[in-house]
Amino acid sequence: MRWVDVKEGFKEFLEEFKREKTGIAGVVLLIILVLVALTAPYTTMPDLPEKWRSSAYWEDNPKNVPPEWYNMFTSQKLVPQQVYYANNLKISHPSDTVTMIEADYQFPDGYYLGPQGIIIRGLNVTLNAPSQAPTMDIYLLRPDGKTIPLLTNKQLSSSTTISIGRDSTISANVYIWLVNVTEGREITMFEVPLETILISDMVAPMFAKVEPGMNVSDIIGNPQPLNGQYKLILKINNPAPKYNQVVYDNLKVTFLGRSYGTMGTDYLGRDLWAGIIWGSRVSLVIGILVSVLSTVIGLIYGVTSAYLGGNADEFMMRINEIFASIPSLPILILIGATLGHVTLMFIVLLLVIFGWMGIARIARSMALQIKEQTYIEAARALGAGNGRIIFKHILPQLLPYAFAVIALSVPGAVIAEASLSFLGIGDPSAVTWGQILNAAQAQSATTKGYWWWVLPPGLGIAVVGLTFVLIGTALDKILNPRLRRL
Amino acid sequence: MGYLKYLVFRILNAILVLLIVTFIISALFVKVAEESNRSKMYEELMMWERTEGAKIKQSQGLEAFEQAKAAKQASLEEKYELNIPYWQKVYNKALRTLKLDFGTTSMPIFGTNNVSDIIKVAVPRSILLFTTATIIVIILGIFLGVRAARHAGSVFDRGLSIFALLTYSLPMWWTGMMFLLIFAFKLGWFPLSSMFDPQLTGWEHVKDVIWKLALPVFTYVFVVFGGWAWTTRNIMIGTLQEDFIMAAKAKGVPEHKIIYGHALRAAAPPIVTMIIFALLGSLGGAIISELVFNYPGMGRLYWVALQQNETNLLIGLTYFFTVLYLAGVVLADMVYGFLDPRVKVGASAKM
Repeated sequence: MRWVDVKEGFKEFLEEFKREKTGIAGVVLLIILVLVALTAPYTTMPDLPEKWRSSAYWEDNPKNVPPEWYNMFTSQKLVPQQVYYANNLKISHPSDTVTMIEADYQFPDGYYLGPQGIIIRGLNVTLNAPSQAPTMDIYLLRPDGKTIPLLTNKQLSSSTTISIGRDSTISANVYIWLVNVTEGREITMFEVPLETILISDMVAPMFAKVEPGMNVSDIIGNPQPLNGQYKLILKINNPAPKYNQVVYDNLKVTFLGRSYGTMGTDYLGRDLWAGIIWGSRVSLVIGILVSVLSTVIGLIYGVTSAYLGGNADEFMMRINEIFASIPSLPILILIGATLGHVTLMFIVLLLVIFGWMGIARIARSMALQIKEQTYIEAARALGAGNGRIIFKHILPQLLPYAFAVIALSVPGAVIAEASLSFLGIGDPSAVTWGQILNAAQAQSATTKGYWWWVLPPGLGIAVVGLTFVLIGTALDKILNPRLRRL
Repeated sequence: MGYLKYLVFRILNAILVLLIVTFIISALFVKVAEESNRSKMYEELMMWERTEGAKIKQSQGLEAFEQAKAAKQASLEEKYELNIPYWQKVYNKALRTLKLDFGTTSMPIFGTNNVSDIIKVAVPRSILLFTTATIIVIILGIFLGVRAARHAGSVFDRGLSIFALLTYSLPMWWTGMMFLLIFAFKLGWFPLSSMFDPQLTGWEHVKDVIWKLALPVFTYVFVVFGGWAWTTRNIMIGTLQEDFIMAAKAKGVPEHKIIYGHALRAAAPPIVTMIIFALLGSLGGAIISELVFNYPGMGRLYWVALQQNETNLLIGLTYFFTVLYLAGVVLADMVYGFLDPRVKVGASAKM
């Protein structure tokens, strides 16, 4: 083959490819996918894979909530996440020792439940006189004029994080307040039922209608939203401002949403959108690497086998059959499970080892035909070596076919990687769609109805698969003249 | 005669491959078992040191303790077969596996410890699920594929192609998760778990099984039939362009007869091969799909065996899968040679 021929052939091929609408669609999808994968560190965050596994990093996110846009399809709207930093909080100093911090929270009409919780963190406290440590009271001022005392006299230190909704003392305080308003009696901490503290959602009643005469368990079980303007007040008492300093610059008050971001969150509060975007990197890399490597190996193996013929051919085909008859997924699972920690490159290697056989068989049957042609005989007569004939004369004939095979085997490789990750055998330092689905299955997301956790990763796999199938079938149509007549 | 010779060659070949694969599998699993057995042995030795060993140390001194410990270790090594060289063990294991003597599991599964019995319980369930689904897929796939080939380029053909391409890229287990979400969780038409109710017998049991099977079967058919129809279509389009079809058309043979009498028969060999492998593959079950549906078949059994480190069961199952695959290869070759005279002539001419 001369270089000019290659150039001509390529040009001709491009012309034909342009006429295949599905192929063009595939190429467009591929470009989008590559762009998404490449820009992942900039569109989400640069070091997501490291953070993905640390549950502490995602503490400021609500857990198991659907995406924000889901509100468009439901009558019962779910509030989004709202974060206040020092510059959008009202901070005033009524006296030398007291600081008031107010967060205005709008619970808009039409929304069904208030926030999932409230998290206050980032108070910088310098303690020089521990006996006079600063303390904090927290109140929630409601639109109906009632005030809930959430916490009183909480001693502050630098590590203080208040987590309304996860803190049992606060939950108990809310219960006490509920009983006080509805039944008019004061109860103590010890009369609060345990399940209220441990299981019940005590944040929703804070943002619900509470009137005298109502039943407390009704309010907890079926809170009626009380929309309007709320005010979260932090009152900080610093009896010795000269010794103990409280700095508010890093203060962060988060009203956890009942819905979050573009794709919702999982059981650790992880932003699933970021995970999906990052997952495309692994999917594309694994898919392309595995299919290219196994196609190349299969082609060379098949052609060599056909060309050598005789006993060598028989022997090589037996090896091929042995690989083909070992059930691959179970063995892959076994290897992964025994080794424990596997890297992405190792998974690629495994998938290649168990993925080249089919291509080798087809390549062999094609090479058997090519081998009989006269120009091969001529080359041999001129004294060309085996390697030269295989690589220079037979393989180039199979190249167009190879491209179609590469494209068509990408979906299989992507699904195989996802399946392994789904079973918990994957690279733990990478974020992949299979691993997201694995977590979903482990937390039985399907039986709880967390669709936003299950749907996107699989759609991602399907889109990557579809992209390459579109390209592959278009190539197939051009290179397989029988189908071209359609 | 040529056909028989060809067949014998194929069978011998399959047996040779089976021997080698069995050996490889044994080598792999014995290695795994050896590691877990070694850790089990050390655990037991530690236990002994803490209880009986400590007593001996106190009453008879350090020397007696060392002696007793060595004796205990030797007996434990024998118990866990750690005193036999690795290759000897591999050889023993492979030989026993070939004789279908798979041994027992350490924990009872389906109420028995015998590996063969466990497999006998699981296989019919996988057959029930996947073979039912595969048969539906074959019928639907061939029918729709032939229809699409007849009206190539029509809206139906294009729609089918797009559907096939879409489902080709879907992981079956993910589709299963989605269907569980939609049809079981949201609409409540099907159960969330396909584990059978062991209390029921008779007609009630049959009803329970059908009810639990419905969603997995539906999922399988949904994901697979598009690809089948598409492949059938492509094969049929190729055949419909052959000269003998043109000749039949020119002769005035009715179209129905051309399609089902001439073309489908000519296109049969690859389709039959596909059918054989699909049916045999269906016996193995799909590990992840069965996990997702919580269906008690072969695939889930494999997973349970892995989780509980039941090496004997794993070897038994892997051996079963391998035999199935090789049987499929031989069967496909047989049928192929039977349907397509060119194959047997070509192969036997070589011998």
